Amino acid sequence: MASTSFDRPSTRPDEIHSLLTGVERYNPQKAGVLEDYLVRQCANPDPVSNHDLMANLALLKMYQFNPDLVDLDIIRRVLAKALISQSQGDFNLCLYLLSDDICSDVSIGKLLVLRDYLEGAQFDKFWKEMYGAEDDDEESVVDGIAGFDNGLRRLIIGQITSTYQTVAAKAVEKMVNLDEEAVLRLCKEHNWPADSNGIITLPLKSENKAKNTVIKESVKFEQLTKIISAANDI
Amino acid sequence: MYQENYDDVEFGGDVDLVANSYANSNLVEGELDEEELIMQAQAGVQSIPEPVRNFLANLHRNLANCNVGDLAYNYENQFVRLTDKFYAKGPWPEPQYVAALVGDDGLFLTLYRELYYRHIYSRLHPSMETRFRSFENYCDLFNYILNSDGPLELELPNQWLWDIVDEFIYQFQSFCTHRSRVSKRSPEEIELLKENAQVWNTYSVLNVLYSLIQKSSICEQLEAGQNGGDVIEAAGDFGVRPLYKMLGYFSIIGLVRVHCMLGDYTMALQTLENVELGNSRALFTRVTACHVSVYYYVGFAYLMMGRYADAIQSFVHILTFVSRTRQYHQRSYQFDAVNKKAEQMYALLAIAVSLSPVRVDESIHSYLREKYGDQQHKMQRGGDEAIEIMSELYLYACPKFIMPNPPSYTDLEAASKALEPQSFQLKIFLREARLQLVIPTLRSFLRLYTTMDLDRLSTFLDLAPAELRNQLMVYKQRCRQIKWVGSPDLLKGESTSTTDLDFALQEDMIFIAESRVGRRYADWFIRNTNKIQDLVNSIENRQKATITNGGKPKAEEEAGAVPVEA
Repeated sequence: MASTSFDRPSTRPDEIHSLLTGVERYNPQKAGVLEDYLVRQCANPDPVSNHDLMANLALLKMYQFNPDLVDLDIIRRVLAKALISQSQGDFNLCLYLLSDDICSDVSIGKLLVLRDYLEGAQFDKFWKEMYGAEDDDEESVVDGIAGFDNGLRRLIIGQITSTYQTVAAKAVEKMVNLDEEAVLRLCKEHNWPADSNGIITLPLKSENKAKNTVIKESVKFEQLTKIISAANDI
Repeated sequence: MYQENYDDVEFGGDVDLVANSYANSNLVEGELDEEELIMQAQAGVQSIPEPVRNFLANLHRNLANCNVGDLAYNYENQFVRLTDKFYAKGPWPEPQYVAALVGDDGLFLTLYRELYYRHIYSRLHPSMETRFRSFENYCDLFNYILNSDGPLELELPNQWLWDIVDEFIYQFQSFCTHRSRVSKRSPEEIELLKENAQVWNTYSVLNVLYSLIQKSSICEQLEAGQNGGDVIEAAGDFGVRPLYKMLGYFSIIGLVRVHCMLGDYTMALQTLENVELGNSRALFTRVTACHVSVYYYVGFAYLMMGRYADAIQSFVHILTFVSRTRQYHQRSYQFDAVNKKAEQMYALLAIAVSLSPVRVDESIHSYLREKYGDQQHKMQRGGDEAIEIMSELYLYACPKFIMPNPPSYTDLEAASKALEPQSFQLKIFLREARLQLVIPTLRSFLRLYTTMDLDRLSTFLDLAPAELRNQLMVYKQRCRQIKWVGSPDLLKGESTSTTDLDFALQEDMIFIAESRVGRRYADWFIRNTNKIQDLVNSIENRQKATITNGGKPKAEEEAGAVPVEA
């Protein structure tokens, strides 16, 4: 079974695990422990192992119960991490534990807009919103999260490879916000042949193979027991 | 009781006054002398009708003798009938008058008070005073159960135990909603709330539920049951007794409900980690209301998590159960409550099926089409109308959400303008739903073709090609959901495609593929093979019987044999 966000990630220390599975998760004094753990997640650039959804949700729940502990920056980071998570539902799960007040904060609001663009596959608007404004001297909303860009690109590439069998390189450039050279490098890395017209051929996998299938019935052995036993009696 | 549509209408101060004097005759203590008090008490006792007095005496006796069967009859039948007959519009007799009848039995009075307050909540309007007292009563009850030295001898029918837990959570939710509506609270009430922050405190409620679970070692018991271990050993002294075991078990279900009310759907599903949902003899099936509750909250949690396929499966399962057992529950007093929940689930099912079209069971499908067919059509077409209808159905069917904390009493203005948790959850859900609606709309178009040019499709749909490209990507993303495949952990699952329509893009050309279900012939053949086998067997048996009858008479088997026709 493929792992979901709800499985225990290999990088979760035992201390955190016992915190999450016991009643201590309601103890407001433990908020600091979970916040530290989040900061460690942010510092880890490896996109496979750096997201512990359950721990972050526990932290948000603690904020829900103790509004005086709320740290908007922490929430921003939790949401930013959920944004690039491989499972699409994570961001929403985090949102359910917040409140309208929190959502009206500027950086949280920006994250919500980014998420709308990302989930609506409006990548060009997304990149513009993230890095667009030239005169922006405020910190980027995804500051302090190692490997954000890579994780993001991984997500987008995953979507592209599921949808397209062949795609124009120019389109890919726009979607992942990289220039022509970088895209070519990417193709080499993933072993995608690109022909002279700039069309990249993507490998076929179950998601992007459009094949008419007929779901055949599978007869279980148990269904035949009565017949077989009757046959034996004769 | 499921009083989900109960609205906190304020009747001003009058009801308070009446309820106060009813519940609190200590007010007049200083004015009357002892004799008058005794006379008043006697008058109170006399005013209790004869059948009710008998009922109370029976109840008391059965409780003392741990006569669970009779208790069940008292509780499920007599209590309801007497309520309808005598107390349809007013509260049951004062607990202090009842005390005189039962010789001041503390435990009985606590349980009686629970019923008394429950009745007020369901038929009348509880005042702030009533709410406080009811909370204190629950504290008494749970203290008694949780802090006794050894396991109690008490036994109550399962229905009653479930109702205690259910009502406890219901009153908690009612209180949270009541206190967060600051604009409707009078200044005295706000003062009262400020001073008594411990009443119906979220932590206390959670504490009760977790303690009941821990005391009964119910999680260990369930785990042992699943893995084939020794359940009795895992239960410990307390968990072995049905009182603790069932209370612990119902607390698990209660926790699921509380987590959903707070918007924590992952915790809700995680809490059920040892409860086997597929097991038709699981403990929750013993009380129908509990059974329905479990599936409702599980389905709702899945719906909010975006796992529409799982939500649909959950709802369909319980709705088939309810419709099949409808005739057995006609007379049960829970019938209304169960029905109401079923109706809400149909609404949620309508939403889920519109967002993620799948085939459902025939009878459910026809009922759904009858009731919500119109709305479903509109929802599948997308657009603002779809969102409007979805909001309407959602608000009808969702559980009552709560804020775990009191509103800020210092900034009442802001508190009264704050978005209600209901609306907040709806807002987030709608955001998801808007994206998900891409699926039914695109699907209806793509189904008609095997290949299609992107530009042509975009003119059909009246969208810019770039926009359409985005929508196609979204479709791809959204048609994969995690589906539960039967592991004990409800959160796990496999990523599967949930629509029967798939496609791939080659630059600007869309290649569409459909998956259809092949003809199922195995079941038909098996059934008919068995039928004919049975037929052959019965003919052969008859033959044998006639032969043996014609020959030597056989003593034993003659009883059912075919009479001899010589």
